[in-house]
Amino acid sequence: MSNSSPMMSLRNVGVYYRQHRGIFGAAFWALKDVSFDLHAGETLGIIGRNGAGKSTLMRLMAGIIRPNCGSLDNAGYSVSLLSLRLGFIPYLNGRENAVLSGMLMGMRRKAIQAELERIKDFSELGDFFERPINTYSSGMLARLGFSVAFQADPDILLVDEVLGVGDAEFNRKSTAAMESRIKANKTIVFVSHNGEMVRQLCDRAVWIENGETQIEGTPHQVLTEYHKMLRLDAKH
Amino acid sequence: MIKQYLDLILYKTYADLRAETERTYLGFLWWVFEPILFMGVFYVVFGILFDNGIQNFPQFLLIGLVTWQWMKSCFSHGEQTILNNHPLMQQIYLPKILFPIILVLTDSVKFVFIFTLLLIFLWTTAYPPTTTYLALPVLLFVQLLFIFAGTLFLAAIVPFLPDLRFVIENFLTAVFFMSGLFFKAADLVPEHLQFYFYLNPMATFIEDYRKVLMYQQWPDWNALLMISVFSVLGIIFSTWLLRRFEYVYPKITA
Repeated sequence: MSNSSPMMSLRNVGVYYRQHRGIFGAAFWALKDVSFDLHAGETLGIIGRNGAGKSTLMRLMAGIIRPNCGSLDNAGYSVSLLSLRLGFIPYLNGRENAVLSGMLMGMRRKAIQAELERIKDFSELGDFFERPINTYSSGMLARLGFSVAFQADPDILLVDEVLGVGDAEFNRKSTAAMESRIKANKTIVFVSHNGEMVRQLCDRAVWIENGETQIEGTPHQVLTEYHKMLRLDAKH
Repeated sequence: MIKQYLDLILYKTYADLRAETERTYLGFLWWVFEPILFMGVFYVVFGILFDNGIQNFPQFLLIGLVTWQWMKSCFSHGEQTILNNHPLMQQIYLPKILFPIILVLTDSVKFVFIFTLLLIFLWTTAYPPTTTYLALPVLLFVQLLFIFAGTLFLAAIVPFLPDLRFVIENFLTAVFFMSGLFFKAADLVPEHLQFYFYLNPMATFIEDYRKVLMYQQWPDWNALLMISVFSVLGIIFSTWLLRRFEYVYPKITA
């Protein structure tokens, strides 16, 4: 797998934000020096503590922001974040929000409309699908959010933290759906601070700390180092 | 790709309008009531309390207010579109120019309702359509160009300088009183200041709408041409700005 040329490769990438409003103020480097490759069909785990720069890295890979230094090469693949409830409007019903959200994710209107019945079934909303989403319980909203977001099928899918959502039953169902996609040789980047999830799901892992790549390798290697650091840190 | 974004613009415009009608009990009736209430205030003050000596003052005033509000609502809402959509642009890449375009369309749909009512009001009072109505599409189109230029520009720069919002609001209020909504420029504005008075495109628009809708006169074509040229330049410049900062807007701490 690692012999083929990568789908995406990052070399010494850095990204800064301005600490004050707008474009002024001192630069804060959220990412300083990140390098790794992403290969077709693999599930890559990115592990790091809160504030390590994981969210910035996701936005960077999704093409939402650009690196301030270093290089990010994407050989023309579509990349997107699994965004639950993307662009949802409270006063519109489930169907309208599904269409809107799907279009924002880059799907054609006809393509989503063809999937609407499937979205309705998967979300188990029944008649509520035709009602405004501000009448939904949080569980129902989570189910609609996942069912819609799961329709997007980019070349590279970026998943942040949680696989499953909603109440216990739907959580199992959505986790199962994600896992089957992971096993289906899709290219997925999975970001977490939970080592166990990365160990279970990923083929390879990268550990990011303070905006820098610490180590890249098998989940076992990376997690061993990561946990060593966590224990050291806890002692101090 | 363009086709896809066009579909998105139209659907999002529809969705935003639907959401707005669902938000209140009276729904879309507010698109009509709100401007009527707003205009009522000005009619009471400038039509009844002050004697301005203008014939058919309600029609005179309403034409000004309706066309002013179209521009004003686009500018005021437009300057906030990028910041309001900040959560969305953190999750997915979208060309930022879509947001102000959607806003202008949303507000323009509402304007179409009000403008239609205005025309019905004019026809049923003293001003039936005449041949000068042929100039109306041109007038509306040039004002739309001007609105796009202003809205795109404000949408592009206000995220960097949010304090500008207060300056802009007060500036618009000042221009509101200097656009000839309540008076005829020929009556009130001194000769040597008329040049400056007409530097404000809204002054030209309002006067031209009155010419076309009330006085059976043709609009000031030269002025409209000038405004079109500057508006197109403004649209090009603002589009360049929005593209220049395409990947910076998502990084602004809102």
